[in-house]
Amino acid sequence: MATREAGKKMIMLKSPDGMEFEVEEAVAMESQTIRKMIEDDCADTAILIPNINSKILSRVIEYCNKHVPTTGATGAAASDTVAPAALAEDLKIWDAEFIKVNRATRFNLIQAASYLNIKGLLDLTSQTTIDTISDNSLEEIRSFLSTKNDYLPEEEQTIRRENQWAFQ
Amino acid sequence: MPSLRALPEEIAIWEILVRLPPKALLRCRTVCRAWRRITSTRDFLLAHHARQPALLLLDDCTNYAKGISDSLNIICFDHRAGVATPDQLQPVARLTAQTSFHLDAALMRVGCRGDNISYYHPVASCDGLLILCVEGSGFFICNPATRQYACLPLPLGHAWWLLGMYPHPSTDEYRLLLYSYKRITDDERQDACHVLALGSGHPPRHIGLPDAVTLGLDDPHVLFRGSLHWCTSDYDGECKTIGVFDTRSELFREMRTPIVASCIDLFEMDDMFGVAILDCEKIIDIRVLQDYEREIWALNRRIELPFVEIRVQCDKYDTYIRSPFYVSVTPGDGELLVLVKFADWLLVVGTDGKLVATLHRKGLDSTYFQLKQSLVSHTFFHTQENYVVNAPPFI
Repeated sequence: MATREAGKKMIMLKSPDGMEFEVEEAVAMESQTIRKMIEDDCADTAILIPNINSKILSRVIEYCNKHVPTTGATGAAASDTVAPAALAEDLKIWDAEFIKVNRATRFNLIQAASYLNIKGLLDLTSQTTIDTISDNSLEEIRSFLSTKNDYLPEEEQTIRRENQWAFQ
Repeated sequence: MPSLRALPEEIAIWEILVRLPPKALLRCRTVCRAWRRITSTRDFLLAHHARQPALLLLDDCTNYAKGISDSLNIICFDHRAGVATPDQLQPVARLTAQTSFHLDAALMRVGCRGDNISYYHPVASCDGLLILCVEGSGFFICNPATRQYACLPLPLGHAWWLLGMYPHPSTDEYRLLLYSYKRITDDERQDACHVLALGSGHPPRHIGLPDAVTLGLDDPHVLFRGSLHWCTSDYDGECKTIGVFDTRSELFREMRTPIVASCIDLFEMDDMFGVAILDCEKIIDIRVLQDYEREIWALNRRIELPFVEIRVQCDKYDTYIRSPFYVSVTPGDGELLVLVKFADWLLVVGTDGKLVATLHRKGLDSTYFQLKQSLVSHTFFHTQENYVVNAPPFI
């Protein structure tokens, strides 16, 4: 792994609970939201990340650190000696470990990935929720996402009939 | 800070529901009013379609092989699932042929008996819509996700070929490029190309016949930058040129292939147009157009088929490995894939030459098409002949 080189630009990210995280600009720019702020010159010293507490933000940074393309300043890939397929396999295993968290943390990560616009993290964190919704009954989905059923029983039956085949 | 237990509704809808498979999304409309309202809007459905994977569409000839071609399974192959996972085959919908009154009616119109259906198969796929053909009788359009189905009105007395389907660039119409043929006497024939705008209520519009461009009736037509492209073979079976139909000007032209070859597949992927040269047994050359206007090609990569691995994988089951191989190259959800079909095997190889997925099942064949499911509603369905929704021929 390349050590931090002189001249590599660093960015300060601040969570609303007052924690500060110093990260490489390239790592922070895994987030399209932050990338846009930097490109629009709205980020001189520190960027406040609203709505994402320090616990979640540190995990997001951990993800970005792992997923930032490992290209040095010279343009030569740091991973020259490692086959891309092996690297991808390693990342997959790392991702699987990363996502072993409870539901509340996962929901918070989804929100963070959505706000910061980090596609890979969003795909990873939302997949488990998508699988749960795909595989469970309406009642289970409602309780899982804390959604209230506001249909009258006969209305629910009508709407169900509209898409009867989807319930088969 | 929002509640730790719940996802905000906006995120639940625009990040989670928008990624659900169509069937699960339709079920979720019954969860609550807000979900039903938002997931029925056009904006949401377009975003949902954009996030669906473009999966390889398979041609299921299982029943055909048994001599009872009474139905068609619309099945996709999810190569992303990896080797040996049970979810690789994704049944999307099933259509019956014999019990469907309108199919029988369509067959009666052209003088076929309902019990003599030859073969029911997909001939075009575009934005989640499929065109199906019953050989020698007619074309049908369906959306397997919304379960909408209708006959395509084509004048009788001609044989019709569908060359391609495309969204017309300056109108919101879906259009079909068709070729018709009619033999008048032994020496005289009548043939022409036509454009049919779905939902326009007009019959296919005659656009003449290209002078110097071969049409490639059985080759897939690949849409790229508003033009349909196909390989044209000469009498020696050599492909020197690519036929092009500009969907705006409705003019035909030709462009050069990078080399003269006898077996070429065209593909479009991520705003890139390319050819796969399949002349050698084990090596596939992929060339892409660097400059479309000036027709400058570059060698993109060379794929070596992993025959040793394939042999190990398949010899466990049978000795069909000595059967002839059919190799094709097609994009699947943003990746270029090599499909190897032999005997009852369908193998998917990545551009790195590694085996991605294997499937062993009788009667399944690959097509050149991908299906990217869509719940977006189209008004043209309602104006088509014998339109049905959520009813037979869907079973």
